[in-house]
Amino acid sequence: MRIILDAMGGDNAPQAVVQGAVRAARELDTDIVLVGREAEVRACLAACGGENEPRVSVADAPEVITMEDEAGMACYNKRRSSMTVALTMLKAGEGDAVISAGSTGALLGGATQFVKRIKGIRRAALGPVLPNGDKGVLLIDCGANVDSTPEYLLQFAYMGSFYAQKLMGIEKPRVALLNVGTEDTKGGALQKAAFSLLKEASDAGRINFVGNAEGSDLFAGKMDVLVTDGLAGNVMLKTVEGLAKFMFKELKKVMYSSTKTKIGALLIKKDLYGMKAMLDPSEVGGTALLGISKPVIKAHGSSDGRAIFNAVRQAIACVQADVAGAIEANIDHMKLEKAKEN
Amino acid sequence: MVYDKIIEMICEQFGMEPDQLSENTTFTDDMGIDSVDVVELIVELETEFGLDEIPEEELKKMRTIGDLADYVRAHTDE
Repeated sequence: MRIILDAMGGDNAPQAVVQGAVRAARELDTDIVLVGREAEVRACLAACGGENEPRVSVADAPEVITMEDEAGMACYNKRRSSMTVALTMLKAGEGDAVISAGSTGALLGGATQFVKRIKGIRRAALGPVLPNGDKGVLLIDCGANVDSTPEYLLQFAYMGSFYAQKLMGIEKPRVALLNVGTEDTKGGALQKAAFSLLKEASDAGRINFVGNAEGSDLFAGKMDVLVTDGLAGNVMLKTVEGLAKFMFKELKKVMYSSTKTKIGALLIKKDLYGMKAMLDPSEVGGTALLGISKPVIKAHGSSDGRAIFNAVRQAIACVQADVAGAIEANIDHMKLEKAKEN
Repeated sequence: MVYDKIIEMICEQFGMEPDQLSENTTFTDDMGIDSVDVVELIVELETEFGLDEIPEEELKKMRTIGDLADYVRAHTDE
């Protein structure tokens, strides 16, 4: 196994990426290629004692993609950037997966342009797994495609279902469609058309569609995969993240408000840390770009060394699970003309 | 040759039919694809025809299949 890391991507790059890479090379059974400005990367390796790590190598890429670059064009316009070089290495078979904590839009564009989508997949999608007190729920799409068609949503459902089967260990993932109500006739034209396609796929035994779901159902354990367009998915994800931060801030205020609550807080401190860890994106590692022909993982922009380490672990799992292979094997059922025929 | 290859690639990548497309077909309004898709197509064409990287200002001028075909013809022996 060989994992390619965009060493220059993310708020804490390259230090955090290098730290995570060195730890991953030591603790996980994998080789790591760090792609970035070689001198900077090697300095970081020396700083964390990893300069002689036999399973870590460095590939030079003098350019860096920044948030100021136009996302969809960034990799094309900066061919010598760490992100583009990492993706072209993956395409050329010089590694098994790519991880980047850099710009999500640039990574999505670059992965589509240089690694390519699986043949027949109309759009790649972002599918983070959110905690729900059990195995989690995969929310797809979370912002890769602001405009979606019913066919895109059908493909997201299949891709999410395969991911849940292979990486979340759910034999028959329950797939739901995000809507404004649970009744079958709810929603706008997109949701109604998508509902019909998902139901047809479910009736044919290809996915386990459980119907429409409301936003409040996300954490209720009613589904394993929640399908939505990228606009609604992104709004939902950001709202959830913001609410979680707000809740912890308010909880902290309450806990420090009096001697009584401080004592109470001390007693449950360990349990609260456990809960915080469950909600911590660093524990998950990253989000897979589903629909790309080889594994590409988007790590959180603020990833520290631990998050990068976990992203490597996730990348290894993605390679071993071969979600792309499952998608390819079923692509005929995922295209609209075939979905209509069947 | 160039035009036919572009049409073949578009049909393959975006699930369209050749009779839906012409030299005047626009990427955004008629095909409904965005800049990521156009660049995906261009990267394929670079490989297929051995083109050098297309400058950003040239890319921004390409609105139709004909614009793209003209550029490829002008920069290759096709």
